[in-house]
Amino acid sequence: MTTTLQTPAPTEPVVTATRRRRPRTSPLTTVNPATRLLVLLVMSLFAVYFLVPVWWLVVSATKGQGELFSGNGFWFGGHFALVDNVQTLFRAQGGIYSRWLLNSLMYAVGGGIVSTLLASMCGYALAKFSFPGREAVFGTVLAAVLLPAPVLAIPLYLVFSYTGTVNTFWAVFIPSIVSPFGVYLSRIYAASSVPDQLIEAGRLDGAGEFRIFTIGVRLMAPAMVTIFLFQFVAIWTNFLLPSLMLADTSLQPVTVGLVSWRELQGYPISYTTVVTGALVSVIPVVAMFLSLQSFWSKGLATGAVK
Amino acid sequence: MVKRTARLIAAAVAAAAGIALAGCGGGDDAGTQASGPVDVTFWGWAAGYDKSVALWNESHPDIHVKYEALPSGGQTGYDKMLTAAKAGTAPCLAQVGYETFSTFLAASVLQDVSQYVKAQRAEFPDWVWNNVGVGGAAYGVPVDTAPMAMFYRADLFKNANIAIPKTWEEFATAAAAVKAANPQARIMNLPTDPYLYSGFAWQHGASWFGVKGDSWTVSIDSAANAEVGQYWQGLFTQGLVTSYPAFDAALYSAWNKGEVWSEVGPVWSASLIRDNAGDSAGKWAVAPMPRWGTTDAVGNSGGSSTAVMKGCKYPKQATEFALWMSTNDQSVSNLIASAAILPASKSGLANAALDKPESYYGGQPIYQLFRDESAKVNANWQWGPVMSATAASLGDGLGKVPTKGGTYQDALSGTQKATLSALQAQGFSVSK
Amino acid sequence: MSHVTIRRRGRARELRRAAPFVLPFLVLFVVVYLIPAGYSVVQSFFAVKRSGLGLGGAETVFAGLDNYTRVFHDGEFLGSLGRVAFIGLIQVPVMLGIALILALLIDSSVSAGRKFFRVAYFLPYGLPGVIAALVWSFLYAPTLSPVTRLFASMGIHVSFVTDGALPFSIANILTWAWTGYNTILIYSALQAIPEETMEAAALDGCSGWKAALLIKVPLIRPALLLTLVFSIIGTAQLYNEPVTMKAVAPNLPSTYTPIMAALRSLSSNDFNYAAAQSVVLGAVICVLSVLVFRASARSVES
Repeated sequence: MTTTLQTPAPTEPVVTATRRRRPRTSPLTTVNPATRLLVLLVMSLFAVYFLVPVWWLVVSATKGQGELFSGNGFWFGGHFALVDNVQTLFRAQGGIYSRWLLNSLMYAVGGGIVSTLLASMCGYALAKFSFPGREAVFGTVLAAVLLPAPVLAIPLYLVFSYTGTVNTFWAVFIPSIVSPFGVYLSRIYAASSVPDQLIEAGRLDGAGEFRIFTIGVRLMAPAMVTIFLFQFVAIWTNFLLPSLMLADTSLQPVTVGLVSWRELQGYPISYTTVVTGALVSVIPVVAMFLSLQSFWSKGLATGAVK
Repeated sequence: MVKRTARLIAAAVAAAAGIALAGCGGGDDAGTQASGPVDVTFWGWAAGYDKSVALWNESHPDIHVKYEALPSGGQTGYDKMLTAAKAGTAPCLAQVGYETFSTFLAASVLQDVSQYVKAQRAEFPDWVWNNVGVGGAAYGVPVDTAPMAMFYRADLFKNANIAIPKTWEEFATAAAAVKAANPQARIMNLPTDPYLYSGFAWQHGASWFGVKGDSWTVSIDSAANAEVGQYWQGLFTQGLVTSYPAFDAALYSAWNKGEVWSEVGPVWSASLIRDNAGDSAGKWAVAPMPRWGTTDAVGNSGGSSTAVMKGCKYPKQATEFALWMSTNDQSVSNLIASAAILPASKSGLANAALDKPESYYGGQPIYQLFRDESAKVNANWQWGPVMSATAASLGDGLGKVPTKGGTYQDALSGTQKATLSALQAQGFSVSK
Repeated sequence: MSHVTIRRRGRARELRRAAPFVLPFLVLFVVVYLIPAGYSVVQSFFAVKRSGLGLGGAETVFAGLDNYTRVFHDGEFLGSLGRVAFIGLIQVPVMLGIALILALLIDSSVSAGRKFFRVAYFLPYGLPGVIAALVWSFLYAPTLSPVTRLFASMGIHVSFVTDGALPFSIANILTWAWTGYNTILIYSALQAIPEETMEAAALDGCSGWKAALLIKVPLIRPALLLTLVFSIIGTAQLYNEPVTMKAVAPNLPSTYTPIMAALRSLSSNDFNYAAAQSVVLGAVICVLSVLVFRASARSVES
């Protein structure tokens, strides 16, 4: 279960597997250099807006302890202390930060992979098998997206405590592998990119349903990568659920850890360390996003046009 | 691609299982037989608790205490404890501040351990026992108290030739003098944190809650409370105080730069100031809290207890540890050194560590002053069972004062209403 | 064999085929979503009864619609609903408008450095919500904020944390965090428009901005619709940003948003009331989403 519900809004795709990207410039239009300059200016202004806080984060992580609130907020301080700050960060509280990073990675990567798998299986079945109750199931799954997740966390805690899973890895992992949006997206994608003929042919050859599915997965790959990426970000971002479920600091993800450090209000963990921690915690997400960029824009494209 | 995915999944699940096994089993009492070593879980957050626990475990192999540090104290920590209690996974012992103790009592998550503390009753003053139970019963063991005093920049007051105020009237005069001496400086930061503010009401005997027979009474809008509120409102309106949020980096910076000259706060402000205003080390000193007229009483703002949760299978052993932690010489020395607490127990107060001169405070043995003042804490104070609602409402109301969105009186009246409705909504009997 | 039997056998077979694919997800879905939701709804019809000082324990009794009556008389909760509605109104159209413009710009023939802008715009989304709120809380903190100090050095006094400024400050964090995400989404939808369509339009004399507005936008309408619905849901469940802002803005009430109000009830041990508050919030979100879908469907038909 994830708290973020601003997940993409894909709908039925209009295109099939083969699709040509529209070329940038049509031979029928000419480009006015003044227009081009204006466009670039506007786009750059917005880029600055989006990057300035990130820049502040980078700059602040390089400042020495105690320099955070003095001097120019948007430029480097007296000396370059990034290495020191990172060392302090990883040494703080007995090295708990690296544990938090590892936890976040496990929850997000593990949760992302498993949720993608479960969601694509379910979406594939919803798309390709017309079984009784199919639309009812689909409707219920979609409706779940409307439920206010933060308040569901408490009953979930109670449910987990009856089974003794509270304050364990599973308490965060199990909600993380349920992705209603993933089911939605994979149903759409399976419906359009996995041809019925493929399934028929497979059955005629005597292949089992799961074997056929593994072939279909190759066609659904872009959507699956999309689901994985968004689920990864959602789990990585998740704060309320892990903070409620986990009493043990060594099980916590990095978001909960950083907020608890921030609540210490500067001592014994300084704000500079918190800021450095925030910067370091962004790197895995950005790296994941950059490396999966090509897959991911393809997946979104398919889902986003009716 | 599929094979690779499968292998990735297998690896992820294996790693997950590994982590699960490593992290499994938190938050419950693992003891099974009374004959073997007994396991007692303890959730807390204050610095130094873990060391005291370690000290105990070394010398008491038969009762093993497992300490789990909650990432943050305050409301988040308490929410976790209450939710765990509701689910039956509560620890045996929990660090519960006095202000929240009644809430836990009313939530029926605590165990009566009066019989186990009877022998050491005389260790703690009566008003302190009143904070860990009602009607003489005890549901936990007090750890520390937090009497208030005035921390001030001795050098700045001396250079400006301003006498250290002994009463609140003198304080107001001094406030004006500070501003006159340096237009950029102010005598103090406005108290807008609800729990910090409670100490001022406590000093003036303006209790917020009371018990009348079998019902609660709420007196947040009493005349005495109004007097305290009006005092601070007056200082703010005249521009004689700064108005940073409590615990804000801007406030610490002001302490450092000499823009705020004093802080009337509880004993734990000593480490707060010391750790956040390092540049002004050696220049601070501590004086008794200004009094209301001739009444020789001080306020208390803070203090925690070690509460025994319901469902604890070993209340006797748990209480034994709790008493030890609050009275044993080694444990108390550790707590004083780590968290700058003022012990609640009589033997704790006699600890030599309290006589240590503090270099940050110009070599003054400040804890001696707190020890003396702790005897003068106003005994007329009662916490109520809906403190989180009261504190949230008061915090909202006081938060409006600096932006001139409301006054102290508005905050107090609003909190009175909110508290009454919270009590009634949860089925408590309330009387006028 | 009759037709019905064949069909029934077919459906049973489909069910058998689908079961191993659907069940793993469904079982977990029931555990993680339906059971807690059901529990909350049930609890919202109960209340806790105490006697006297309440120290002798409490019992949970059936309370019918009492909690809901209380919700509708709860000025602070209703105020929180109004507040998120206001923030939604000022934030969502601005954010989606900017996202649409940026997407069109990246997509257009006149832009350059596409890859760079895509990454730049998406980067804020990569920051976890709590971290982004943390960074902005430092940027908004009175006296410590570099932005405030920059303006102060020019003689202009700004505050991001006054009562009037708070909704806009929070809206800004939301816009900053989510615009890029919506931009890329819309941009990808634009990619699916076949080039023949745009070439035909150019032949008819419609190109540049006119083509963008009159042809591209209507074609990606479903994508825009769903970004709208999900933005509404996200705003209604606002929590991280106001809570983090509270550290630098004490004048921000603890019941600023509906979720904050419900969680405050929870902290006061008032679980049943918190359940009722969350059911009401969920119902409001549901109604709004349905309305938006209906309105859009109707305009498509017209």
